[in-house]
Amino acid sequence: MALKPVTALDGEAVTIDLSIDGQTVSATEGVSLYDVVSSTGKVVPAMCYHYTFDPFGSCGMCLVTVEGKKAPVRSCTAKATAGMVVTTESEDLFLARKKAVEKHLSVHPLDCPVCDADGHCELQDMAFEHQVTDLANAKQKNIPEDTRSLVLDFNMNRCIACGECINICKDVQRIDALQFMKKGGFTQVVAKGDQALDCEFCGDCLAVCPVGAITNKYSKYVYKPWQLKKTLTTCNYCGDGCQMYVETKDTEVTRVTSVLSWKNKWGDRLDTANGHGGLCVRGRFGFQFIDSQARLRYPLVRAGKELKEKPWIEALDFAAARLQEVKATYGPQAIAGLMTARCTNEELYLFQKFMRMVIGTNHLDSSARYGHLNFVRAVDHALGISRMMNTSEEITKAKAILLVGSNITETNPVASVRVKQAIGVYKAQVIVVDSAQTNIAKLASYPLMVTPGTEGLFVQGLVHSVLAQDLVDGEVTGQFPDALATLQQATAHLSLEEIARQTGVAVEQINAVAKIFAEAPTSIIMCGEGIVRQPDGYANVLNLVDLAWVTGKLGKPGCGINTLTEEANEQGAVDMGAAPEFLPGSVSFHDQAAREKFSQAWNADLPVVEQGENLMGILEGCRRGDIKALYVVGENPLATLPASCGVEEALSKLELLICQDPFLTETAQQAHVVFPACTFAEKDGTVTNQEGKVQFVRPALDPLGESVLDWHIIVGLANALGASMEYETTQDIQTEMRKLLPAYYNLGQPKKVVGDPSAYFTNGYNDETMARYKNTRFEATNSRPFGLRLVQLLYHSGKLSTQASGLMALSPNTGSLLMCAEDMERLGLSETDQVRVTSDVGSIELSVQADMSLMPASCAFPEHFNDPPIKDIIPMECDPVTGVPYFKLARVTVEKAS
Amino acid sequence: MASLEDQRSTIYKVDPEHPETESLPTLRTEELLLNMGPQHPSTHGVLKVILELEGERIVKSTPVLGFLHRGVEKLAEDGTYQQFIPHTDRLDYVCAMYNNYAYCRAVEKLMDMAIPERAEYLRTIVAEVQRIIGHLFWLGTQALDIGAMTVFFYTFRDREILLDWFDELCGARLTTSWYRIGGVERDFTPSLEAKIRQFLDYFPPKIDEYVVFLEKNRIWLARTRGVAVITAEDALSFGLSGPTLRGSGVDYDLRKYESYGAYPKCEFSVPVGKNGDTYDRYWIRVEEMRESIKIVQQCMDQMPKEGAILADVPSVTLPPKDRVFTNLESMIQQFKLFSQGFDAPAGEVYCGTEAHKGELGFYIVSTGGGKPYRLKIRAPSFIHMGAFDEMARGYMIADAVTIFGTYDIVMGECDR
Amino acid sequence: MSSPSSTKKFFDAVLFKEIWNAMKVTFKHMFHRPMTFEYPREKRTIPDAHRGALGLLRYDDGQERCVGCDLCEAACPSRCIKVISEEDTSMPLQRYASEFYIDITKCVFCGYCVEACPVNALAMTKVYEFSTHDKRDLLFDKTRLYEIGEQHIDDAKRYLYAHNQEKKGEESRAYRYHFPQSVQRQQDASSL
Repeated sequence: MALKPVTALDGEAVTIDLSIDGQTVSATEGVSLYDVVSSTGKVVPAMCYHYTFDPFGSCGMCLVTVEGKKAPVRSCTAKATAGMVVTTESEDLFLARKKAVEKHLSVHPLDCPVCDADGHCELQDMAFEHQVTDLANAKQKNIPEDTRSLVLDFNMNRCIACGECINICKDVQRIDALQFMKKGGFTQVVAKGDQALDCEFCGDCLAVCPVGAITNKYSKYVYKPWQLKKTLTTCNYCGDGCQMYVETKDTEVTRVTSVLSWKNKWGDRLDTANGHGGLCVRGRFGFQFIDSQARLRYPLVRAGKELKEKPWIEALDFAAARLQEVKATYGPQAIAGLMTARCTNEELYLFQKFMRMVIGTNHLDSSARYGHLNFVRAVDHALGISRMMNTSEEITKAKAILLVGSNITETNPVASVRVKQAIGVYKAQVIVVDSAQTNIAKLASYPLMVTPGTEGLFVQGLVHSVLAQDLVDGEVTGQFPDALATLQQATAHLSLEEIARQTGVAVEQINAVAKIFAEAPTSIIMCGEGIVRQPDGYANVLNLVDLAWVTGKLGKPGCGINTLTEEANEQGAVDMGAAPEFLPGSVSFHDQAAREKFSQAWNADLPVVEQGENLMGILEGCRRGDIKALYVVGENPLATLPASCGVEEALSKLELLICQDPFLTETAQQAHVVFPACTFAEKDGTVTNQEGKVQFVRPALDPLGESVLDWHIIVGLANALGASMEYETTQDIQTEMRKLLPAYYNLGQPKKVVGDPSAYFTNGYNDETMARYKNTRFEATNSRPFGLRLVQLLYHSGKLSTQASGLMALSPNTGSLLMCAEDMERLGLSETDQVRVTSDVGSIELSVQADMSLMPASCAFPEHFNDPPIKDIIPMECDPVTGVPYFKLARVTVEKAS
Repeated sequence: MASLEDQRSTIYKVDPEHPETESLPTLRTEELLLNMGPQHPSTHGVLKVILELEGERIVKSTPVLGFLHRGVEKLAEDGTYQQFIPHTDRLDYVCAMYNNYAYCRAVEKLMDMAIPERAEYLRTIVAEVQRIIGHLFWLGTQALDIGAMTVFFYTFRDREILLDWFDELCGARLTTSWYRIGGVERDFTPSLEAKIRQFLDYFPPKIDEYVVFLEKNRIWLARTRGVAVITAEDALSFGLSGPTLRGSGVDYDLRKYESYGAYPKCEFSVPVGKNGDTYDRYWIRVEEMRESIKIVQQCMDQMPKEGAILADVPSVTLPPKDRVFTNLESMIQQFKLFSQGFDAPAGEVYCGTEAHKGELGFYIVSTGGGKPYRLKIRAPSFIHMGAFDEMARGYMIADAVTIFGTYDIVMGECDR
Repeated sequence: MSSPSSTKKFFDAVLFKEIWNAMKVTFKHMFHRPMTFEYPREKRTIPDAHRGALGLLRYDDGQERCVGCDLCEAACPSRCIKVISEEDTSMPLQRYASEFYIDITKCVFCGYCVEACPVNALAMTKVYEFSTHDKRDLLFDKTRLYEIGEQHIDDAKRYLYAHNQEKKGEESRAYRYHFPQSVQRQQDASSL
């Protein structure tokens, strides 16, 4: 049963007994009577109730009789008290509920034939169930539809004022974008201030609306529920791995719905710690790319300057023959492969097997290289684990959360709901460190704005502050006194004042935050792209490990260090060994035992240990002419990496570039062969979310045109090369993976990972740490006063979402630089002006737009768009340890263009 | 191809010790396996029977079923209860109304519904008219199978009158779908009533006419008397029903025993045979037509002049259409019933109905919700086919045709 | 019933009396009007209730009745109807069927779609001759269905009356089914 705010959350409440329909039930005192009734399995109708938020009590359906009260009471707002005698079923109650339905029906329009909710409408169900047949005095509201919002239409004629949309927005999403307003004699739901709706567009209000009052603009009037085939699958946008229903009509995707719905309104509010079942704007409204016209439908083979459509057999033969030729002429080391982490585990597994076994090269990488590998390598190095440490439940129930360098509401919106719940329900202290005024910062107890690029420095400051304030957990650090001494020595040279000056956060604030983090019983660190995608990402994660260690938050239940991933299966890519340094199961490529196991299972020798270039190495190899053939699966390095990487040059030097992608990307346009691949909605397999849950991806529709599943292409290519890869179904691959990686699937539940830092602290910790804290790389120069960041937007994920027309409508490429309004005023800029942005690498002219969330001396541009190619003026830097390319931040000057 | 010589040697046995006796061949005798059907015109559809023959006598027969299998029972699980009614039309396609009736009765039993009085009368009248149609069809084809062509023309002439009447009643001659769960789709019009009354006067002399052709015809008698005899005991243990069972002297008629519809309010007798042979079954069917006329006559007289034709149970039956246009509650009812169906209680129900072939039963397993979890059809044709071997054994191959006919077998129902 | 004497039985048998009796009946039929007629030159009269080809109907002013609610698709036991609906941009909030297909080869002519239709946009007609050389012609699209509806409007109306779907004189009450009602009411109010 749900826990209401009146109730203490930590089990201090009293357990009471009451009688429901003659059955004695025990419950926590003070919870809603409705919850107690539904916990016994009885279903009392209620249209305004949903377990994810507090009872609202507007529909008047959940009536029960309580002994001693004359009239029936609304069970949702009534509190359970000891000795209550409750009856939930009787003729009178039925009639009273029927009256309540009639009240709603009498002002409801005759809209069923046109209404999208028809067939999935609680009012219909209730009217039918209570056999309302003839109503006198029905009248109409005649309220014009509110179509101002970009994705949702509000038809208030159909509204029954249940308030579910308002409550979920307020209590669960904590956005509070909707409100009731008395307008035209009726209570209506309007966007705050009766403006056009402007929110995160998560669409949870749409999901819980029990009638058709809120409708989805992208699928309005084009379907009825009974026409749709519902497929439960995993969202492919970010690493949250939300479960969602892709609803299809023949070959079209009509809409996406969430598990959250008014239909599953009964539950335990505590369960929402594992997710409330909702989706974000990308998942719910960004489905158009699946059956987009831009999808590749036929294989393409280069003929001169053009790519020509060719039958599969020819394209495959061509690719295989050329690969064979390259291999024969230059050896297997001249071939490399890149794969996107949006593919399934099975495909990633096959990809690395193909590269290592069939080709015989270890030059392979995935898009986890863009940042996630920093985190993985760091925690692997320090603790011997390869992913984040906490479950979403632990995050929800943490007492303190340090959210550093992550605009979580934009990058991982559903994970952010966990943090929001920690704030709202569990009263957690949340420290947000970011270089912009993010939405989560608005809710956080300690929102701290740091100068762009100084997140790492701030972490060092925290470590220093913890040591200086003696917030050290003696028991834990006592086990490794040497390590503590080293750390103290290493941080001794740091000056909090200097850090405060550079980061822009006051010393007192750093100290206060350090104290909160250290003193909370359970503290969780979450780091995002501000840490792992910015220079020294690897070192900064290790600094976070230090912070957690000295405060005793390492290995303690409910505490840990976590990250957020941008693509759906970055964790899976690492686990499947789609990186030169890892074998499947995130074992080191050097691990002799594992090498033997795999070479035995695959019946082939693995490439020698010394080999293996990562993404940047591969591109460098191409440029040098060492690598002659590149197999790119779903990746698009040309559009992702800045021009300074020389990707174009690298690709042009290749003798063979094979691309396989659902779309004709910039990289694919350079290719010699392009295979049309499928999107996640056509695939069968599993993906691993950032938390470590292995979840199913199920095919919602047949492959579009002649496109083929990625792993089919890999198998086809392997067989054309003479290797025998005999897989007929995804299950065949899974069977092999089960044998080699026992318990990887683990029934879809994240395995508990416990790190062991002893090896780390006793082996070479000293030198490493000394070097790490020496770093004082950041120094804002007056010559380049602005920090330009490439940022992720809520409405987009990588480049994939730019193919979704729904998201493009919400957030088109404005081509403008986002700047703080103060700076614009200072520079005398208006939104009609063009600005020139100059970095050490280059210069570009573009328009400018004010953005309220940015801090002074910073500007931003969405990383999803390349028009204008602002990424090309960003200098690129590679992590010395992990080889992660850093290209999200630059020091620039901004001036008005003449 | 075997050479002519080879073929000869397979037919004639040559004694190797006395090759000179080749000119005196010995005739080899063995049982002959004969496939009868599935394209044989007298097998009433696509029935195949493997006959083991000794000369012309049937030693053993094995019916091979399933040529017309369409998975009707599985189809039922996919649609709402209401949506299955048109599928029942196609079970015994010469007798759609009774299938509708049997199915609707089963669902009504599941839903525990009461039917308005006028609807009960309408249902009974149409069911009995359907029985006459069924028997006319049987009589014509049985006579045709045996060689009497004239009767076929006359019975089909009269059947046409009734089929046209069906067309006027519900819009289709064979695939009627006129019954609804809780009543019927459309009431009689004055013209329909007049036509049926006219038919009641017209038809009894016609029965006498058919009888003139057959009753004393010595070929008919030779082909039917003492053919395919089955004792009462055997008939019961084979689960036979309808005229096939009553021909053996068992007085079992669900119209009397379950007295559904308006039958309890009518006086009629159930003809019962003595010998259990084909002739008795013929005679019973002819008599049943006469009884049906009586039932229809009585119903027409007793029927309330006005009244509802569909039960008013908002959770099951459709609202009147004019209310749907103007009234939200009715519109919701309409949408819910058509898109999701009514919510049947969980449980199992079997309901048998006396169709003209025998007991047509529907067994429905419901786990709640708008669709049946499982639906089983007890099709008399199928059950009767089980007794085929028993009844055909020892008779001549030409009698096999008579024996199919005597069950009144329809493969649409048998294979489902 | 007294059993006939053995003499009578003997003579009946020798003279084939039962055959003569039967021949008498057959002979009488020679003077009856023939029961058959020569299709296709002559055709039977189809009753109003006949469930023939489906047609789509319009209101008297030419407005399409169908609002694309898809209930016919839900009601169809043979899944032969496919409706693709859209928002009508010319009229506020109006939903309509942009495409409407009935696969007549699958149709079982049960009439459920007509019964389901909340606006009586569908009706059955007396058309029953579908023979064609090309099976693809039997996938009736929206144009074809409106054509049938227009050509056989009287039959369609009679069908609706016969099956209690519409009362006489009510079909001309145009716009009663124009959804949403709220918009209509406003228009009515302003026109008054």
